Amino acid sequence: MGGKTGFSLLCLLGPFFALWALFWLVPLGMGVDLSMQSPDFRPVHRDKVLPQNASAPNSFTFLDWRNPQQEMQENAPRYVGLDNFEKVITDSKFHKALSNTLTYVFGSIFVILPLAFALAVNLHALARIPRGILVFLLLIPGLALPGVLSTLFYLFFHGRTGALNQYLVIPLGFDPVNWMVDPSFIMPSLIIQSVWRWTGLVTLFFLCGLEAIPRWQFEVARIEGAGAWVRLRSILFPGVRHLALFASVFLVVDGFAAFSGAYNLLGGSGGIQDSGLLLVTYVYQVAFPGGSGRFDFPGAAAMSLLVAPVTAFLLFLLLQARKTFFSR
Amino acid sequence: MRRIPSCLFLGVAALICIYPFAWMFFSSFKTNKEIYQPTLFFPSDYEWDSYSGLWAGEFLSFFDYFLHSILVSGGQALLATFVAAGAGYAFSKISFRGSTWLFGVAVLVILVPKQALAVPLFEWMAWLGWQGDLWSLALPGAASGLGVIFFTQVFRKVPDELIDLAKVEGLSPVRTFVILLPLIAPALVTFCFLHFILSWQEHLLPLLMLDDDNMTLPIALAKLRDSSHRIPESVGMAAATLSLIPIVFLFGLCFRKMKTALVELSLS
Repeated sequence: MGGKTGFSLLCLLGPFFALWALFWLVPLGMGVDLSMQSPDFRPVHRDKVLPQNASAPNSFTFLDWRNPQQEMQENAPRYVGLDNFEKVITDSKFHKALSNTLTYVFGSIFVILPLAFALAVNLHALARIPRGILVFLLLIPGLALPGVLSTLFYLFFHGRTGALNQYLVIPLGFDPVNWMVDPSFIMPSLIIQSVWRWTGLVTLFFLCGLEAIPRWQFEVARIEGAGAWVRLRSILFPGVRHLALFASVFLVVDGFAAFSGAYNLLGGSGGIQDSGLLLVTYVYQVAFPGGSGRFDFPGAAAMSLLVAPVTAFLLFLLLQARKTFFSR
Repeated sequence: MRRIPSCLFLGVAALICIYPFAWMFFSSFKTNKEIYQPTLFFPSDYEWDSYSGLWAGEFLSFFDYFLHSILVSGGQALLATFVAAGAGYAFSKISFRGSTWLFGVAVLVILVPKQALAVPLFEWMAWLGWQGDLWSLALPGAASGLGVIFFTQVFRKVPDELIDLAKVEGLSPVRTFVILLPLIAPALVTFCFLHFILSWQEHLLPLLMLDDDNMTLPIALAKLRDSSHRIPESVGMAAATLSLIPIVFLFGLCFRKMKTALVELSLS
């Protein structure tokens, strides 16, 4: 390994790690630093960017040096150690947001994966051209901006007259559901949204997995006279299991970062009784609270850092699941 | 005969996916009153008012935001693709000390998504004075951990003989990498497209970084549907329809290559 290889390595890996350091490591480090600061401490550069949104109800003039609140800010210690973490961990709203997010992530995965597998198996049986057209159509919801969801809000979830009530709930003989107002239906409607968005993409993954299965395996199954169940279990399912893992990782990561859908449906709030409060929404609420003007950046940073071990743990569980269920 | 349930299932699924968009398109001609009856499909009257209103910048300068979105997403997607491809090549085809360790470090990015780092990122950008700049959106997120994994897998499938041949010819690894790029074109297109969608849909970072005269599409769409109902709902529908066009067009261009790349990847 000469100097030439070293230089090449620098050219190949350098750009990635430069971006990585600047826009991931530095913010992460700042997050750690921020999470230990007192919420009352405000560095100068933050005041420069925030004043126009800072519509604090307890607004005092910055010139009034005798204002006790300002004095307290000046004397406030900069670092408070792990207090913010303690505050977050004991915060019942944070627990709510965390459990909501977990429900959201697992709810979506458990609906999307079987549905996408069923779709892919059925698509696989079709001829090439209708198959291509159908996959294309299924994928369109995943391409649309989540903001588009806000417009579709009227179609699906609008009060009594929404499409879900008119076409599904009432014909089945149930009472119409008030989707966005009834706390027990806010989470299901968020999950429906996620299912509607991502099923197409996961179907595409699965379909490609199925298409990669060599033709002779089906021949053998046919000659052996294997039934549909055996075909499904020993040929089709193994064809997609690696992709299922990849899709789950994608959905976990995306679910934890979910913000836009809930923001559009619920307008930045957590919905009635916070039943639709997701983690990132809550972080946003804490950092940029609507009218209160109290930007609790340290609290928000502590919260963001607590997301990492949860995602890491979930991904670890997925990998364990792969070892026990998938590698046979 | 037994194909019928299967076709029915697929047909219903496709209808569920398409129907809302058709409704959205037709709703861009409707009056507010018609939109509030969601089961009504066709408008009574076709008026292009909402489109011309958007074009004239009556409510907000929609097409500026459109351009911002395209610049940010396109720039980020291209950058992310080539940067991740380079790293993937180095990790799969060059053996060097600390390669496993570096790979692990690069993949850590997945664990803390950039949305969770939004607040410190906001601080960092404010400190740099980049806040409000389109760069502050395009650059974070260009280092994609998923991309490094993806391209490491892709380059593993490229036969070693090609690289040995290049070595015999006396090419440096960087030249070899550049020469190999056309070979993995489907994978490049696939990743670029997926990243484009993800950054096209990004909502939180632009919400934090940009101010009112410098928005991107997701924010503009959310603004158009603000709670005061000053703006006719049909304008929101028209904007949503327009926002869908470039991405569906791009998708149509990439679809074949995407399928090729994904099938090749799952052949193992």
